[in-house]
Amino acid sequence: MIHDLDPRIHGALDGELDRAALTPDERALVERLDAAARALSGTPVVPGLSRRVMGIIRRPLASPVARFRRWLTSPQPVTLSLRPVYSLVIVALAVVLWRGPVPAPMLGAHEGVAQFVARFPEAHSVAVVGAFNDWRPEATPLADDDHDGVWDARVILPAGQHEYMFVVDGERWVSDPLAGRYVDDGFGRQNAVLVVRPVRSE
Amino acid sequence: MTAGGGPSDAEAIAQVLAGDVEAFGVLITRYENGLLRFATRMLGSRDAAADAVAEGLVRAYRHLATCRDPARFRTWVYRIVANRCKSHLARRPIGDVSLDDVPPVAAPEDAGEGLERSEQLERLERALARLAPEKREAFVLKHLDGMSYEEMSVVTGARIPTLKMRVHRAREALLAALKESP
Repeated sequence: MIHDLDPRIHGALDGELDRAALTPDERALVERLDAAARALSGTPVVPGLSRRVMGIIRRPLASPVARFRRWLTSPQPVTLSLRPVYSLVIVALAVVLWRGPVPAPMLGAHEGVAQFVARFPEAHSVAVVGAFNDWRPEATPLADDDHDGVWDARVILPAGQHEYMFVVDGERWVSDPLAGRYVDDGFGRQNAVLVVRPVRSE
Repeated sequence: MTAGGGPSDAEAIAQVLAGDVEAFGVLITRYENGLLRFATRMLGSRDAAADAVAEGLVRAYRHLATCRDPARFRTWVYRIVANRCKSHLARRPIGDVSLDDVPPVAAPEDAGEGLERSEQLERLERALARLAPEKREAFVLKHLDGMSYEEMSVVTGARIPTLKMRVHRAREALLAALKESP
């Protein structure tokens, strides 16, 4: 509990009032505070501080450009003080402006998702081609994000039967060895066949 | 010349500005103890205080030419170190000072008068550390460094009535802490 001290005590401590004018009780409080200040006035010992400072100032100062570069590349503390009302406004704006996660593409009633998976450990690129992308190798690339040689892609296709092939490294056309069905492409090779079922049935 | 026989602050500053870097050592020797005591009480840590004082002294050296009144070097350098302490406090996650890493400070011989070093001193240190930084700063400058309110005003940039109020509140808090003693 903190009580207001008599202004006479502060006056005496500030040297504005002769201590002889204080009552014995007042003088005792003044002496108590004097003793407290003396007790707190010990000096910590830090050996080598003078040497440390002199060592720094004897070194030539880095050029302004070097100091600016160091300032640019070293972490700087940033303190942001904000009135609570402003933080509420910012949160409200963020809620209004945030449109949520990008919605996944909506599937039509007669569409489904086809997943193409193939293992080509030595390949630099793999794509899937079929009538659905006009047999263009650049249209539907497969990805191998973890570099384990397994390539895959998910594509929305109309429900039904689709013929396809893989194109490895942009030039080698390969039939999917894991496909369940194949049809002759008329040029001596086998196209793999995939059946896509509609996700939503009417 | 000073009473101690060394060059006055103004003379030492003139020597430094004339190119004698070593003359700055006179000013360091003269003020490092007071600055360290001030910074330790402000920051509650001897290591942090040593950093703040070292940074402040280097900054004072670099900007010595801007010290408008060399005879008042003391308040000027205290102001620089006080600002370094404020920067250190601002970087801390909590605003107050922890005394966990305060080493035992060597108390003067006659401090035992009316006060036992140990529990009571610890109580005082904790009460001082619990004060708001501006009240702690005012009390330390007034009672530990023996500055006048005019000098404190130069160091802190605060008005004299404000400083008096801070010192008064700090005294009352410390007395209250002493009254809590068993």
